[in-house]
Amino acid sequence: MSGPPSRRTLLAAGLAAPLIGALGGCGPSEGSLSAGDRTRITFWSALRGSQEVVAAFNASQDRIHVDFEQVPTGTQGGYAKLGNAARAGNAPDVATIEYPQLPGFAIDGVARDLNDLVTDDLRAQLLPQALERTTFDGRLYSVPLDLAPMVLHYRKDVFDHHGLRAPRTWAEFADLGRTIRDRVEGSRITAFPTDGASQFAAFVCQAGGQWFDIRDDAWRVAMTDAPTRRVAEYWQGLIDEGLVHTTPTNSQQYNAQVSDGSILTRLTGSWDAGAQMNARPGQAGQWAVAPLPQWEEDDALLSDHGGSTFAVSTDSARPEAAMEFIAWQVAHPDAFRARLSAGTSTQFPAAPALVDVGREALDPDYYDGQDLYSLFDAEAAKVRDDWVWGPRMSSTFQVMHDNFARVGPGRMSVLDAVAAAQEGTIPDLHALGLNVHAVHG
Amino acid sequence: MAPFFVLLVGVFLAPVITAVWLSFFTDDRSGLGFGPESTTFVGLRSYAAVFGDPTFLGALGVVLVFCLVYIPLLVLLSLTLALLLDSGAARLRPLIQLGLFLPHTVPGIIAAIIWLYLYTPGISPVVDVLAGADVTIDLLGVETVIPSIVNIAIWTNLGYNMVIFYTALRAVPRELVEASVVDGAGPVRTALSVKAPLIRSSVVMVVLFSLIWTLQLFTEPMLLSQSTPVINSRFTPSMYIYDAAFTRNNYGLAAAASVILLVCTVALSYVVTRWSNRDARRRAAG
Repeated sequence: MSGPPSRRTLLAAGLAAPLIGALGGCGPSEGSLSAGDRTRITFWSALRGSQEVVAAFNASQDRIHVDFEQVPTGTQGGYAKLGNAARAGNAPDVATIEYPQLPGFAIDGVARDLNDLVTDDLRAQLLPQALERTTFDGRLYSVPLDLAPMVLHYRKDVFDHHGLRAPRTWAEFADLGRTIRDRVEGSRITAFPTDGASQFAAFVCQAGGQWFDIRDDAWRVAMTDAPTRRVAEYWQGLIDEGLVHTTPTNSQQYNAQVSDGSILTRLTGSWDAGAQMNARPGQAGQWAVAPLPQWEEDDALLSDHGGSTFAVSTDSARPEAAMEFIAWQVAHPDAFRARLSAGTSTQFPAAPALVDVGREALDPDYYDGQDLYSLFDAEAAKVRDDWVWGPRMSSTFQVMHDNFARVGPGRMSVLDAVAAAQEGTIPDLHALGLNVHAVHG
Repeated sequence: MAPFFVLLVGVFLAPVITAVWLSFFTDDRSGLGFGPESTTFVGLRSYAAVFGDPTFLGALGVVLVFCLVYIPLLVLLSLTLALLLDSGAARLRPLIQLGLFLPHTVPGIIAAIIWLYLYTPGISPVVDVLAGADVTIDLLGVETVIPSIVNIAIWTNLGYNMVIFYTALRAVPRELVEASVVDGAGPVRTALSVKAPLIRSSVVMVVLFSLIWTLQLFTEPMLLSQSTPVINSRFTPSMYIYDAAFTRNNYGLAAAASVILLVCTVALSYVVTRWSNRDARRRAAG
């Protein structure tokens, strides 16, 4: 039944294509061109503004048409969806993957090696430390969209009222914690995020730790190295002294603590400045952003926190078109403008040339005129380029969260929780057949 | 017998063989894992990984503790209720039977949602009432979470098992009961010394089914895990398997854990059956 008609349809399409192409060429607008003649690629993302970016891209040229599908965020099922689609052989041409999960998708054969597709021109437009994050064993597996340096968000109004200033070192941060506990009624300096393995990893990265590394053709896993111990003991001290709350950040309780002034600082990526504006418009003028405290005053080390990348799937039959779309998305000012048109955001682009676009789009009033993008720019330069995420990071984070939930004075220690995450990760890596070199202590 | 074998092969043997196959032949990502993957024979690698995983052993520990608390409690409570109903001590017997059986007809996932509501601080009327009486209890805390799940399981399964016992008790010859009354045994003595031993095979069956149900515990903790960090993503062996396959994309590991769970279930069931049979044999010999 399907034989002859389909051949006829094909022939008809073949005859018609040049004609339509010619018509399109002299038509009044590119929009009138039917999508059927363009190279079609599919794109999955959970990022806000993706729909706008895709619409702008489709309107900007007439060779490639992107079909966009909004998917749930990674932990809400987006990554499971991507993994299952890849197993079934129908992954989208372009997928959005966050930094920590990229090695897993590269190992599972979902993300394609992009070395032959990415142009030197595109590489030159992106921050080298961001590109390092998506390069494994000399192969680039995805193209970074943004790089969010860790910063200190603090309640400037309360700080000013009590004559406090933003701490520059972690020692100052702890002292400030004591001052706030003693002098600011009902407040603590911050909350230790019991669902914040990614934040904890960022602290460790800043301190010079190296949870995962690729050495001698093996994955080296050392989640309790000396810098990790230092960070764990530091936070354990804050918890034991009662200087911080222990709260999951993804909870009503945390939301209330930020809203009612129970906690006065948030230690998160630069994106959180925009998230704060959206979540609590009523706190306009109360917050400011400062660099994250350093271990020594003249240190200049930092980690990123959050941030997304775009990968081309191994299944993709049109990798060149996929890469062209990605390059436009991460490096073209119109792409960033379209993304920001979807709502307030303080995304820090991995392409430094786009920083001005972000600065112009941001309403300066919420942060009392503070030039956030210049701060982010300076901080992004400090971000380490040699941090490596592990092959099963969602799961490693999950086990850490399970154990962070039990952390408290006289209960499980922060370090035990991190050690448990390593113990819960190693068997996974062995079962995958990877060469693993686990370092204990 | 043909339909039976078709079903046996289709819904039991084929999945088991697939799982065993998956646990030995899996996608191999050698070295750093970035090269092309191939399906190869990996020997006992997946099994070694499962046994080397403290989170899996922890999950097994959780269901074993659960068994030790839940099964004796369930058998004791449902047997007591059945004996009470059978002795005629309870009025409105059909109504009570219906009331106790009704929870069993509620699907497990709905039951878990109902209890989740009753357990969650802030929205639970039970916790509110207790707080009003100056009792602060976190029903989803580290020490209370297993009892909380046991409570859901008892609520769901009590009526069903009671009906099994009650039906078995109805089959006890009335003349035996009358004889014990003539011999001067009170209702309690009759229940414990005459009726209960006679429905022993039903007790063994209930223990067996409850054991298997517990080892596969999944729905209730999976749902509760959304509202308490104490229940982690690998809380029970079934949750571990689910997590390994669908979060960690590690099908070899999931298959090996499934086979281990199957072997544990078969072994424990065998022990229970042997234990009850040996008792029966000894009595027959004595």
